[in-house]
Amino acid sequence: MTRATRLRSAGIAVAAAVALTACGGGSTSTSGGAAAGSGPVEGGDLTIARAADILAMDKTTTFDNNSIYVMQQIMEPLFTVSADGSEVTPLLATDYTVSDDKLTYTIKLRQGVTFSTGAPMTAADVKFSIDENTKTGADGWGFVNAAIDTVEATDDSTVTITLKYAWAPLLADLALFSNGVIPADYGGKTVEEFYEAPVGTGPFLWNEWKKGQYLKLTKNPDYWGEDGPYLDSVTWTVVPDANTRKLQVQGGQVDVDEFPDWSSFESLKTAPGVTATAFPSTRIDYIAFNQQKTPFEDVHVRRAISYAIDRESMVKTVLYGNGQAADSLLSPGTPFYAANPDAPQLDLEKAKAELAESSQPNGFATSILINAGDPNQASVSQIMQAQLKEIGIDLEIKTLDPTAVKQARNAGDFDMIISGWTMDIPDPDQWTSFAVDPEGGSHSAYTYYDNPDVVALNKQAQAETDDAKRADLYEQLQAQVAEDSFAAYLYYSPYAYAMSTKVQGFAVTPLGNYPLAGVYKTS
Amino acid sequence: MLDRFRFVPARLLQSVPVVFGVTLLVFFMVHLLPGNPALTILGQSATPERVAALNTQLGLDEPLWDQYFLFLERLLSGDLGTSLTYQAPVSGLVLDAIPITLSLLAFALVLSLVISVPLAALAASAPGRLPDMVVRVFTLLGQGMPQFWVGIMLILLLGVKARAFPVGGYGMTAAEHPYYLFLPALTMAIAMCPTTIRSLRASTINVLGSDYVGTARSKGAAGISLFRGHVLRNAAIPTVSIIGVNLGYLVGGSLVIEKVFAIPGLGSLMINAIFTRDFPTIQAVALFVALFVIVVGILTDVVYTAIDPRVDLSSKERA
Repeated sequence: MTRATRLRSAGIAVAAAVALTACGGGSTSTSGGAAAGSGPVEGGDLTIARAADILAMDKTTTFDNNSIYVMQQIMEPLFTVSADGSEVTPLLATDYTVSDDKLTYTIKLRQGVTFSTGAPMTAADVKFSIDENTKTGADGWGFVNAAIDTVEATDDSTVTITLKYAWAPLLADLALFSNGVIPADYGGKTVEEFYEAPVGTGPFLWNEWKKGQYLKLTKNPDYWGEDGPYLDSVTWTVVPDANTRKLQVQGGQVDVDEFPDWSSFESLKTAPGVTATAFPSTRIDYIAFNQQKTPFEDVHVRRAISYAIDRESMVKTVLYGNGQAADSLLSPGTPFYAANPDAPQLDLEKAKAELAESSQPNGFATSILINAGDPNQASVSQIMQAQLKEIGIDLEIKTLDPTAVKQARNAGDFDMIISGWTMDIPDPDQWTSFAVDPEGGSHSAYTYYDNPDVVALNKQAQAETDDAKRADLYEQLQAQVAEDSFAAYLYYSPYAYAMSTKVQGFAVTPLGNYPLAGVYKTS
Repeated sequence: MLDRFRFVPARLLQSVPVVFGVTLLVFFMVHLLPGNPALTILGQSATPERVAALNTQLGLDEPLWDQYFLFLERLLSGDLGTSLTYQAPVSGLVLDAIPITLSLLAFALVLSLVISVPLAALAASAPGRLPDMVVRVFTLLGQGMPQFWVGIMLILLLGVKARAFPVGGYGMTAAEHPYYLFLPALTMAIAMCPTTIRSLRASTINVLGSDYVGTARSKGAAGISLFRGHVLRNAAIPTVSIIGVNLGYLVGGSLVIEKVFAIPGLGSLMINAIFTRDFPTIQAVALFVALFVIVVGILTDVVYTAIDPRVDLSSKERA
């Protein structure tokens, strides 16, 4: 990616952030990197305070975002997501061609890229890295490569990928961190040894990890990219308490506060020397109805509840206005999102009418299961409780420890549950297959929803490589699942970051990762 | 003289069933909690199928008793197991955290003595007069303020406003550690002071009224030399027990303080392990805290015996 496109995309991201935060007083961000006229400054350490530590660096079996955001600074995949999340752009690849039957992808590799060990990156390394991921299957991220039949190193700079069936999300899958390129055969090490100090082609090098304390990466002086890295090092420190993180960024002890809670975020907006930015995300929060339980198999009951949800109040109280009411299964940061002007909004008359048509015309008693210690879920459920009472539904709020909630969810032992999703790849398939296809492994995001028409649409969209036709299929899919009210969409929330005004060029993609090569600190 | 310390080996022996009981209790308590580490590890992709597969891999689908005996067996050979979240030996995690928490406790203890002893002496020197009143108000305030609030106030005043101290964290070099630990240690010391001051004040007033202090005074001892030579050691005896008991509570209090100040000690390790259901780590930390409380109990008695020749915990009548 050239510097010009990076800046332009960062600009788009910031513009979108401003749009998202408009009703909350707007983002004061100037963090697109273009603001400082004097150009990038070399050197310095960027300290990022976050609530929890990384867990592991094995890209094929690690599922937590804290680890993922770090490993992306070290290991790079063939493709990556553009800053606005709308498209896949080449990274370690330069170009690709697709055969007419859509089953063979020939990918040209970037020349002159070396691993931080000094060894050049070749097609053999790429083959090894993708195969490594595929092998983990359902135990890791291998499932994203399910459509891949073989990966061949045609010559040093060309890789040929053959598919089992036409698979539109391939490039997006290749952009996943789990397909990041590492030296073939782990450079002669064992898997465990390798991931204790991973090696890749990225702008930063593994340095030191004190578990529970901090993680440090240092600059890769031989990075192939033209833009950066400028920082000497990046340190992530573990600061579990949101209030302490807030005070640290205010006191100048850390440069970035990762995910301040929304009340901290509001007060940080006006703090001197601090920029609070809401970056658009792909996150959607929704209510999952358990269709195995009466009366949620009834579409009228689900619609009634959906019409009785005051999304605007939730955006105000939970997100302090930093977000928007959700109107579709896909979030606006996800490709093929289709806005739905007819999406249910608070309308108690319509809610009552739907309930009157349902199996429970006189209302009923039910429950919602929420995470203990999660103020957001507490607010959402209390707002719901008040409105549902008006239409004759008696809502009991049950609270359990977060892991216990997940266990109840997996066992189907709940009536309603509040859940969230963020995308890992810039393609809607990862989410739609999880959410509406019972074969996705999660009983349709634990709702037990099963509409054969929707499943067929999802399968068609997977195989359709023409973007316009795919967009049409996903629009139909979004309309149908909205009609079925398989879930009640709540809101889209952005990623909250607060950082010192010295930090320049820090931008988060809708997938949550933040490339740090172009980031620098002014003095 | 050494005869009086014969109780120590017996005490150590008594602690074996206590430690065993703690392992049993903690093991079954954490496994009774709903929730499962595989759910945390897999995040949003935790489908039932994958959770089951990971549980098998982690050995969590074995019968509970088998898991417990395996844990005991490993423990006896000095192996604390593997952390489920980090997939790394628990012993390494705990050994990294122990010195941090211990130095925090030691620092807090020293600070509390530095604050308590002069204040108690000042208050006891003129009971009912102004300095005594001031000290008594201070102890009341100290007891009334919740620890985490004191911590946040200290951060706000000395960290954010004055920028004299870091806002949480532990620092990266040995030279930085005491500087980073000062505010949390002070917070804990402020919580410890009230009981220490009260007990020390009361016993000092008592000792000051005794005959031997009268004798010492008549021989010309006064002021600090009287206090150091004749009063402090006698007045300290009840306070030593109180400090011993307090230290046990403080380990618990360090959970909160470590979270507020982002200190990567045992407390942070424990809280994180509980949220992620990292059973081996929870067990190891609980075991260590139990050992710590037992050792502090024994040390308290040792110190007690050492400073008061009349105490004999080894004699038949007392045991």
